[in-house]
Amino acid sequence: MNHGQQSGEAKHEDDAALTEFLASLMDYTPTIPDDLVEHYLAKSGFQCPDVRLIRLVAVATQKFVADVASDALQHCKARPAPVVKDKKQQKDKRLILTMEDLSKALREYGVNVKHPEYFADSPSTGMDPATRDE
Amino acid sequence: MKRRRRNSKLKFEESSDQSPATTAEFSFSLTKIAVSQICQSIGYKATDSSALNTLTLTTTKFLQSLAELAASFSNTANRTEVNLFDIVNGLQDIALSTSDCFPGGSTVHDIESHCLMKSAVFRNLSDFVKYAPEIPFAKPLPRRERNGSSGGDLDHVAVTQSVEVKSVPAWLPPFPDASVYSDRCSQDRSDHLWENSDSVIGREIMPEGLKSESCRDNTGGRLPLRRSSVKFKIEQRDWRSGGDTRLERWRDNNDGESGGGVDVKKKIRQGYTYCAGEWPI
Repeated sequence: MNHGQQSGEAKHEDDAALTEFLASLMDYTPTIPDDLVEHYLAKSGFQCPDVRLIRLVAVATQKFVADVASDALQHCKARPAPVVKDKKQQKDKRLILTMEDLSKALREYGVNVKHPEYFADSPSTGMDPATRDE
Repeated sequence: MKRRRRNSKLKFEESSDQSPATTAEFSFSLTKIAVSQICQSIGYKATDSSALNTLTLTTTKFLQSLAELAASFSNTANRTEVNLFDIVNGLQDIALSTSDCFPGGSTVHDIESHCLMKSAVFRNLSDFVKYAPEIPFAKPLPRRERNGSSGGDLDHVAVTQSVEVKSVPAWLPPFPDASVYSDRCSQDRSDHLWENSDSVIGREIMPEGLKSESCRDNTGGRLPLRRSSVKFKIEQRDWRSGGDTRLERWRDNNDGESGGGVDVKKKIRQGYTYCAGEWPI
């Protein structure tokens, strides 16, 4: 009997949390605009007039990008820094999102990015990352 | 010194100034801005253009695969509109395939988890909304008119704005571009319309303004503000004499000129046969 009451209370709490979360989506502004998300959803056959659900998809996508980017940032920080004589230059180590870090991060999420070993996508490729201007 | 200051600037936008030509390019460039904003909030100072393009492409693929999964779940349940359960199911499926994205994705089919908040995916999203700072899009997009269930098709906007006919219900699909049918209408049908044939009485005196009004495409279905007045005279006639309205009008106009009713009937007969082939008179 007690077990049944506890499960009922837990369910009520979960329902309240769900309602609160959905209500908070109305006030939350995702980075990806609603119209842009609607466009991609409509392209995939997704029909939904509820703005909260569209924002939920936007939030999920934003979280995915943020997780991938933070993982790539960890890879970038964990890379051994090049030997630099000037201490000031070592302090100014710039954090740049590169294909190397991104492909490592995406591999953990099941996305295998193939790119050539040496891919000169900009005139500054091959230069010291601390000094180059991307 | 100047060079160092220039280097310290944040450059997340591409240097090329090419404006996007298609809808796909436009939406991709918008997504790129959003993705670069997220990267900046994580702590990045700059990005390689290829890395940014790859991450943007991955983002769009994630969004579309989530939408497809949710839509397929709703279709399986014999629904056309997606609800919250479909989205959470789609998120859990993605979490299963990408094991690290949403921890707890393996508890999808847990019998005890009747409520959505038991789902770890959903709880993580709730925490994200609660604790992550809001990063609004760099520039607010211009709002477009919401047109029923027409979804978020950016192509739709220009078409609906170009043609606004009040008599056509809003739920019907939009008109195609006027250049598709207006020329064909005027060219193909001008030779075959009975109204345009030479045998029609009084065609010569039809003003040019009225001719253009007859074609609905030019005015978009709206009546002109200034119209010429038309008068009708209704008379009681003896039907046994076989009086034809059109015949009588012609008679009145010509004021009893030479040529009897037989010639007039011939003319009318020619006109009808030209138009429809077999028209009983």
